[in-house]
Amino acid sequence: MTPTRLYLSNDTSSRAAGADKLADAWRDRSEIQLIHTSSRGAFFLEPMVERDTAGGREAWFNVLPNDLPRIVAGVGGTKVAEIPYLQQQTRFTFANFGITEPLALDEYQSRGGFKGLAAAQSLSPDAIVDVLRLSGLRGRGGAAFPVWKKWQVAQQTESEQKYVVANADEGDAGTYSDRMMMEGDPFRLIEGMMICARAIGATRGYLYCRYEYPAAARAMQFAIQKAREADLFDCDDYPFDLEVVTGAGSYVCGEETALLESLEGRRGVVLAKPPYPAVSGLYGKPTIVSNVLTFATLPNILANGGAWHASLGTEGSRGTMALQIGGRVKQPGLVEVPFGLTLRDVLDRFGGGMAPGARLKAVQVGGPLGSLFPESQLDIPICYDAFAGAGAILGHGGIVVYDDDTSMVDLARHFMAFTADESCGKCTPCRVGSVRGREILERIQMGQGDLEKIEWFEEIGHGTQPHGFFSRLETSPSSHHDHFDSLATCPDPSQ
Amino acid sequence: MTTGHNSKLTDVLERCRPVPPASPNILKTLLAVQSALGHIPTSGILQIAQVLGVTDAQVAGVLSYYSDLRTQPTGRHLIRACMGESCMANHSARVLRAIQDHLCPAAGDASQAERFTVETMSCAGNCALSPTVMIDEHLCGRVTPSDVPSLLEAQVLRRKTEG
Ligand SMILES: Cc1cc2nc3c(=O)[nH]c(=O)nc-3n(C[C@H](O)[C@H](O)[C@H](O)COP(=O)(O)O)c2cc1C
Ligand code: FES
Repeated sequence: MTPTRLYLSNDTSSRAAGADKLADAWRDRSEIQLIHTSSRGAFFLEPMVERDTAGGREAWFNVLPNDLPRIVAGVGGTKVAEIPYLQQQTRFTFANFGITEPLALDEYQSRGGFKGLAAAQSLSPDAIVDVLRLSGLRGRGGAAFPVWKKWQVAQQTESEQKYVVANADEGDAGTYSDRMMMEGDPFRLIEGMMICARAIGATRGYLYCRYEYPAAARAMQFAIQKAREADLFDCDDYPFDLEVVTGAGSYVCGEETALLESLEGRRGVVLAKPPYPAVSGLYGKPTIVSNVLTFATLPNILANGGAWHASLGTEGSRGTMALQIGGRVKQPGLVEVPFGLTLRDVLDRFGGGMAPGARLKAVQVGGPLGSLFPESQLDIPICYDAFAGAGAILGHGGIVVYDDDTSMVDLARHFMAFTADESCGKCTPCRVGSVRGREILERIQMGQGDLEKIEWFEEIGHGTQPHGFFSRLETSPSSHHDHFDSLATCPDPSQ
Repeated sequence: MTTGHNSKLTDVLERCRPVPPASPNILKTLLAVQSALGHIPTSGILQIAQVLGVTDAQVAGVLSYYSDLRTQPTGRHLIRACMGESCMANHSARVLRAIQDHLCPAAGDASQAERFTVETMSCAGNCALSPTVMIDEHLCGRVTPSDVPSLLEAQVLRRKTEG
């Protein structure tokens, strides 16, 4: 009897959810053949096991080792195409997730992989930049800068050596889409970097991966080796090569100039711009630094055209966004949707409501430098312009939901302490302000707050605004300030 | 630094010696040293600087800048509780307390300190399974305080049987 093929995700989080236990327990079972795929991102259902049926894949959720007979018998599965969490998404960048084996180059190619690069190779570098301009793609790392503008500068800067660097520092707590991409569809990232290299005339690439992601770094190294062996880097006599470099635990190294300093082996401090890396970056050469997901979005754009990408999303935010839902919700996971849904829509449709017994207090978007939204402000559309209008940033798409067990003062102290720890030390307002801010909040935590301290605190926030790169030290939202005002004299600051 | 460390350090540094025209890479070298020795002994700074052709101040500057570079050996097991925001929202502070309570029955117990190093981290990219605890290389998700004793046992035993 041929063994039943079962699909199980090998993603780090899937393994932590119990996929590794299943793989261990079922290792010697001759009735099955385990295929290790990427994750669909519906982590609340994991570990999830899938098998083929005449009507497409079926899945079993939150599987335990002794569920195997049931799965082999085909009893009690759910059609993957009918899982609402997945059904309501628009998967382009994450289209392969849960389906393919991440390191199988032939599978990537059979699902349209390297078509984008082929299209790029048939275009002149100028024409590639035009496709990007038409696509409206903006960087996914946080600053949301139009990709084509950076590329045009790098392309037009004369130099015998140029570089492409993928920013895989993914420092914002609450984000994990870059990790998933590197572990789950590494060839897509490689293809994206090669498209960029072709457009600007770069022959060398680096992937700067944070220390906390060893599995992602390994997957990328494997994939690069495979691409090299398959002569993919030699395409049309245009040599390219790619190397994985790891960081060592500095949040600031996610900032592009600090990242390049770190790549050269120095302390990762932020440098003044200009010059921009596109003019003078790694070793003083023109360099494109872009987020992992920015690169991973490129293959589809080149394969399907700039107009296709521009048809998705909203006026100023074209395409889809990978949101990562975490915190106190029932259904945490990765969600790819076109820009434009409101924060409330996303939480209602995908978050599945609050964890049992929890009541929503605030929603954080955009990492530690992002913003907090109270329940009353959740109707904001998820797009760059609406967020900018509200003085907020979308950042890397991390959404963390807090319940009323979280004290806003504790949270503010957490952000201040984080800033104090992570400040690169270059600019005084950030270096000193964050320490003073933390001290003030600690006093408030101890019930020793007063209005004067709150005013100080706000001044520190404003003081850092025009100076340091940590210009959002203020942690933005209006609700915050109201909170502090009422807390200053609060006898029970744990509220 | 022990003699064992000394010869290991010399070996690693030989592999990291920059071949012109490549310029010396301090961070990469320190990461290589840490991966071979488990930490970067400060007594090795001068030797590292000499091999790379940089000043010892430059090496010390990089070493002190990056929080994942360690100058002290860790205990036999490194336990890291995530204090990132998704984990924080899911009560990682309680998990951390449970770990500390479980491992530190008497404060200053030197044998415990040799066995376990407990630290916090700021995000493991496992936020959909918060709260997260990393025990050595092993990532655990959806950890509750009451899971802590059995998780620690299981991982410590697992390491023992594996090697
Ligand atoms: C403090 C700080 C941390 C940052 N961390 C990251 C990061 O972890 N990942 C990232 O892609 N961009 C990060 N950025 C943004 C980068 O500086 C840069 O804008 C980005 O890598 C450009 O890529 P993109 O155009 O694809 O967005 C950070 C910026 C700052 C100021
Ligand atoms: S916040 Fe803890 S794993 Fe991301």
